[in-house]
Amino acid sequence: MSNKGARNLFIVGSLFFFAIFLALSFDTIGKLDKRAPEITEDVNAGKMVWHKYDCIGCHTIFGTGSYFAPDMTKVSERRPKEYLKQFMMDPKSVKPNAAMPKLGISSEEADHLIAFFDWISKVDTNGWPPKPILATAAGVNSRELSAGQKVYQSLGCSNCHTISGIGGTAGPELTHVGNKRDRAWLIGHFKNPDDYVPHSAMPKVKAPDADIEQLAEYMLTLK
Amino acid sequence: MTIKHESQKIAQNFYTFAVILFLVQIVVGIIAALQFIWPDFFILNFNTIKTLHINALIVWLLTGLMGATYYVIPEESETELWSVPLARLQFWATVVAITAVVLGYIWAGLNPQANKLVFGTLMLNEGRKYIEAPRWADNLIVISVLLFLFNCFMTVLKTKKWTGIQGVLLGGLTFLALMYIPGMFYTKSMVKDQFWWWWVVHLWVEGAWEIIAGALLAFMLMKVIGAKREVLEKWMYIEVGLVMFTGILGTGHHYYWIGTPAYWLWIGGIFSSLEPIPLLVMVWDAFRTTREARAVTNKAGLYYTVAHAIFNFVGAGLWGVIHTLPQVNRWTHGTQITTAHGHLAFYGAYVLLVMSMIYVTLPAIRGVKEFDPSRAFQAFWWMTISMIFIVLTTTGAGMVQTYMERLMGLDYVTVKASYNLWFWIVRAIFGVGFLIGVLIFVVDYFKLGKEPVRVIKAAPERA
Ligand code: HEC
Ligand code: HEC
Ligand code: HEM
Ligand code: HEM
Ligand SMILES: [Fe+2]
Repeated sequence: MSNKGARNLFIVGSLFFFAIFLALSFDTIGKLDKRAPEITEDVNAGKMVWHKYDCIGCHTIFGTGSYFAPDMTKVSERRPKEYLKQFMMDPKSVKPNAAMPKLGISSEEADHLIAFFDWISKVDTNGWPPKPILATAAGVNSRELSAGQKVYQSLGCSNCHTISGIGGTAGPELTHVGNKRDRAWLIGHFKNPDDYVPHSAMPKVKAPDADIEQLAEYMLTLK
Repeated sequence: MTIKHESQKIAQNFYTFAVILFLVQIVVGIIAALQFIWPDFFILNFNTIKTLHINALIVWLLTGLMGATYYVIPEESETELWSVPLARLQFWATVVAITAVVLGYIWAGLNPQANKLVFGTLMLNEGRKYIEAPRWADNLIVISVLLFLFNCFMTVLKTKKWTGIQGVLLGGLTFLALMYIPGMFYTKSMVKDQFWWWWVVHLWVEGAWEIIAGALLAFMLMKVIGAKREVLEKWMYIEVGLVMFTGILGTGHHYYWIGTPAYWLWIGGIFSSLEPIPLLVMVWDAFRTTREARAVTNKAGLYYTVAHAIFNFVGAGLWGVIHTLPQVNRWTHGTQITTAHGHLAFYGAYVLLVMSMIYVTLPAIRGVKEFDPSRAFQAFWWMTISMIFIVLTTTGAGMVQTYMERLMGLDYVTVKASYNLWFWIVRAIFGVGFLIGVLIFVVDYFKLGKEPVRVIKAAPERA
């Protein structure tokens, strides 16, 4: 091939691939709004707050961003709204060792952020993030579950609490909570955490009394 | 080694600014690494520190490339630069704008409420990775780049010597300038926001910058080894052609999970997995040419040039391709694997590129016949070994994260704070090793040609 031929191939080829890319981009842009819910004023305001505090400087969203803090794509499914609000406004009030600084987010800004996260969580991301495939294997599948353990699982307590290394870190670890609390405290706390821990970020447990008692029994076995 | 045209000296202003920012980049990089261990370690939060780290990186690479271009264009056109005062003005305008932007980041970091929304844009920090610079700064940057391109094109027009090297170089730079624009407007949809954001980020590093790298590689091989232009330019066209044929549609590897249609899984997967090919051709090109080398005066220049070609392939090509297929990326997306790749790719492809251009052109600018390359070699090994360990630790952390968080479902914070802690500690230590390398380089940069030469050998001059 002559130099001129190589040059022409480079130029024409590049234009050709760029044209295809433009056509695909055009098609994509047209499809995006159908793959996501409508963008309300609150959602847009939340996006602006997201930019204002440079949240992407620590977090990822849709897996894009920085890798210093958890991904925010499904955060509104993972955590109750009240928890999120309290955490974002003052992380260390919820979790004394939280690695996120208090940024000065106002109550209104927090509400907008929650609307924004709600919108984000409903975007069709081709199934990302995927569900962990080894979770059941590493969990408690191998042995019989007690009644209390079943309630613990079905109420999603492990989203926020860790027992023997498994679970989330939003609330305190429960591996030895049986040493620390008694039955009355536990049941009372489940029904209304605020009565026991001022400004508690734990949501009230909404379940029949029988389940709450089973849960308390289970907690007492954790020693 | 001497320059043929007085105006090529302007490159030095840009190099000096670049070298200083390089040092700043690494110092803040170490602070960022320490914040993985102690989050409250510094007055500025991680996000601000990391913004400074990556903006310093991008800006010093760009100013380095501008300086290099101001050197190459007169050389290739065989004439003086169209306007030296304009180049000088453009240089100082860039310095002032960048300083203002940095002060803005720090201010917004200390007091986020100061980051006010005025006419729909945030005044200090736009809160978008890499392109945090606010709109007013974007406009200044665009003006500066346009002045730069104008000056270069006017120079070429003086003699109309459209050599392949300068044609491709200026083509790459124009593409670079154009691809800044998709990042300059606001969209209400986060999906569209990220869609356009990747145009800038991906089409820069895997498109425009790689074209520039191809052109400069040919230039350096010609200067350092005296290889034939004909052959070099032909391979250059093939390399940059393949970069574009694979890289443009390769953008799809960022459109798997951000809310874009599923056909990108196919397009992105297929085209991006071909992206290492042109990078491999560049390595081959460098080796083939080097074999012809007989008496090379500029040993440091050659060393860095070849290392650039190799690490471009390893960092961008290999560390890119391992997580580029959707089946893999589904699990590794946005983990420390990405960090590992980002570091080795930028280091190999562009840090070493700018450094090799400095080592190839600076001796001529300073008018030295020969210089002692030992400091250049020391800097290289301190940096490269440290970088390899930074990359290995983050790759390790990324594998643990992928397994424990993504596959087993453990909490992000648990994995980061306990399982990966050792990786963070080791990374920070090698960060200091990297800093030592940079310090040696900075000393070498300022001393090169300004101290008596220790060894003088009679080698025929090539450059
Ligand atoms: C300086 C870095 C940093 C910045 C900036 C930052 N975060 Fe965080 N964020 C963190 C870290 C680290 C965590 C994990 C905290 C922990 O549990 O220790 C976190 C946790 C969170 C959580 C809880 C996630 C969960 O799964 O429980 C939410 C919600 C959150 N951040 C939202 C935000 C929003 C919204 C912004 C911007 C307004 C923001 N963050 C800015 C570092 C940051
Ligand atoms: C949204 C996160 C969240 C969820 C879901 C959650 N908790 Fe909590 N939990 C917390 C927080 C935060 C605290 C600390 C504040 C407090 O003690 O009220 C806490 C505290 C506790 C405590 C007291 C621990 C101690 O050491 O004092 C127990 C016991 C407990 N939770 C059990 C549960 C159970 C059982 C469930 C499931 C029904 C559950 N939690 C669901 C966040 C959560
Ligand atoms: C010199 C060229 C390259 C540079 C400088 C580079 C740099 C980067 C950087 C910095 C990121 C992270 C972006 C962010 O901050 O979010 C990234 C992501 C990525 N790169 Fe590259 N890259 C290069 C080439 C390549 C190549 C050739 C491939 C594939 C063969 C590749 C594959 C990827 C993939 C798949 C991601 C996304 C990772 C994720 O899903 O989190 N890169 N690149
Ligand atoms: C020339 C060398 C370097 C280059 C080219 C470079 C490049 C980058 C890039 C492109 C990013 C953004 C992508 C990402 O978030 O992963 C980044 C982030 C980062 N860099 Fe560097 N860097 C260099 C040196 C260092 C050093 C020496 C350290 C300190 C050990 C360091 C620590 C970090 C940290 C901690 C982050 C944030 C990563 C995260 O979000 O998890 N970097 N760097
Ligand atoms: Fe890419």
